[in-house]
Amino acid sequence: MTATAPPAAGVAWLDIRTVHPRRALILMGAGAGLGLVLAGAALFTAKGTTTLVVPADAVAMVNQQPISRIDFDGQLRALAVDPAKATPAMRRQVLNDMIREELYVQRAKELDVGLVDPEVRSAMVKAVEAQAAADAITSKPDSAELRGFYDKHRDKYASEGVMVVRDLVFPPAAAAQARTALAAGAAPEVVATRFGGRDTGKTSGEEFYFAARIHLGEALFTAARALKTGEVSEAIADADGAHLLVMARNTPPAQYDFETARAQVATDYQAAAVARYQGAEDGFLRRRANVLVAKDLK
Amino acid sequence: MLSLGVVLVAGMAQSQAREGRLLRLDPDARLAPDQRTAALAAGRRVFRAQCAGCHGPDGRGDTGYGAPNLADRDWLYGTGAVGEIEQTIAYGIRSHQPKGWNLADMPAFGAPRPSAKERLDPLSPGDIGDVIAFLSARRGATASAEAVARGRAIYQGRGGCYDCHGGDAAGDPAIGAPNLIDAVWLYGDGSPPSVFRSIAQGRRGVMPGFAGRLSAVQLRQVSLYVKSLSEAP
Ligand code: HEC
Ligand code: HEC
Repeated sequence: MTATAPPAAGVAWLDIRTVHPRRALILMGAGAGLGLVLAGAALFTAKGTTTLVVPADAVAMVNQQPISRIDFDGQLRALAVDPAKATPAMRRQVLNDMIREELYVQRAKELDVGLVDPEVRSAMVKAVEAQAAADAITSKPDSAELRGFYDKHRDKYASEGVMVVRDLVFPPAAAAQARTALAAGAAPEVVATRFGGRDTGKTSGEEFYFAARIHLGEALFTAARALKTGEVSEAIADADGAHLLVMARNTPPAQYDFETARAQVATDYQAAAVARYQGAEDGFLRRRANVLVAKDLK
Repeated sequence: MLSLGVVLVAGMAQSQAREGRLLRLDPDARLAPDQRTAALAAGRRVFRAQCAGCHGPDGRGDTGYGAPNLADRDWLYGTGAVGEIEQTIAYGIRSHQPKGWNLADMPAFGAPRPSAKERLDPLSPGDIGDVIAFLSARRGATASAEAVARGRAIYQGRGGCYDCHGGDAAGDPAIGAPNLIDAVWLYGDGSPPSVFRSIAQGRRGVMPGFAGRLSAVQLRQVSLYVKSLSEAP
């Protein structure tokens, strides 16, 4: 082993090929120090660590549970029209109420009150359902998906049909003549008087198809729907006589193009996504659960 | 190396302190000019990434989708305070988030049962035409006097419109019911057929909530940015 003469101090520090005990010690110390500083920083900022600091996005920590600044602000706004002008007393009041609520919620978790209180149970069910639903609508459905949905449910995206129809009822023997007169364009009132008929009054003015269906009943509505503007139906026999439908105007449902229907399509698409997510949540919970059912109920 | 670490940590601490200062301010407080410039620039980045898809790159909305123009001074919810905007962005509208806005939907008056929540009877096409006449008269357009009178009766009576849109039809920002007598439309172009569709088919626009997906400081930054859009001359 040959001892090397110690080189000049300045050069030795930078020369990586020579061993320098003091350099090693100092670098190690610096590394450890840096590590400590980083760890400390992480410790005081990471979620879930016990700290004595209230993070900037909270107004209080209750057993390490933050009370969010946005929620505090919302509550304050419910109390004061302009939260900037809320008095310190108001702020304290709101904060105290929120801390109290958090304490009680934490206590409720300890006591597991949810297990017995039916209202809490149902609120918990709703909350989990809502969570699944919220996950379903985090972004805008892309336009190809919306168009696909529109194509699949085309019949939903049409205007509701509209009709102006009168329902006249005649003694069966007079129906044929009455029909001829109506078809020739005679006014319904005149024809009704002449042939001993009357307007049933089931319809009045312009009606959406769904309303006309309710007013006329299924059989008469089906006949009415097939009539074109200006047409008169065949006689339709019923307990009270022979019905003649006079169609003054029939506007069948018209398809909306995709652009026109887009907002509606988006709403329906989102509703369908929500249902899908909730169904998936249901399936997931059931799959991972161990549910035993009594023999007599299997 | 040591100095690099120190700079890194110091930088982190400084930006955290800056964000902390922004968050601890009242949302509507006046910001120092450089603080405001930095917040708006960051808010704009968030907006481009998260919001532009629905509200458009310039925030001017999309009436085909029902995404409102954020660059005007017309607000569906509240009065345009930054704190209110922040609330909407954090929890959304009809988003299924428990803290989101979800107080009223526009009923579908051209359906057998217009509203699942409210007891309302459907309207006939003529009724809807009359209400539209009433509303356009309120906006100063000419319309048949009889139709306007019938429309007013429906608006204030069995239509129940007054209950949500207000006796003066100027909307109710507490429940997100739009003003029906101004020139701003959430859906379509305000033409009678487009207004007819809103009334006959109903509306319930959805805005997702961003709490949990954006940090508190990002929420504040994008809220300030949205507010700034409506302040541009
Ligand atoms: C999936 C589409 C979508 C996305 C993404 C979206 N929004 Fe919205 N936003 C809407 C819709 C739709 C409404 C109107 C809801 C209604 O009908 O009341 C709305 C309403 C709002 C309102 C309320 C406006 C008022 O007049 O009161 C604000 C503010 C807003 N959005 C801001 C944002 C910001 C900021 C982002 C991004 C962080 C964003 N939105 C992302 C669809 C979206
Ligand atoms: C239960 C409350 C409620 C009732 C009752 C109600 N509306 Fe609405 N209306 C709303 C809400 C909420 C919206 C906004 C829907 C959205 O944000 O997607 C709306 C939207 C509208 C729109 C679309 C406005 C736009 O800017 O595009 C029109 C038009 C309208 N309503 C007219 C009426 C008329 C006319 C009546 C009465 C026949 C009526 N509303 C009754 C709550 C209601």
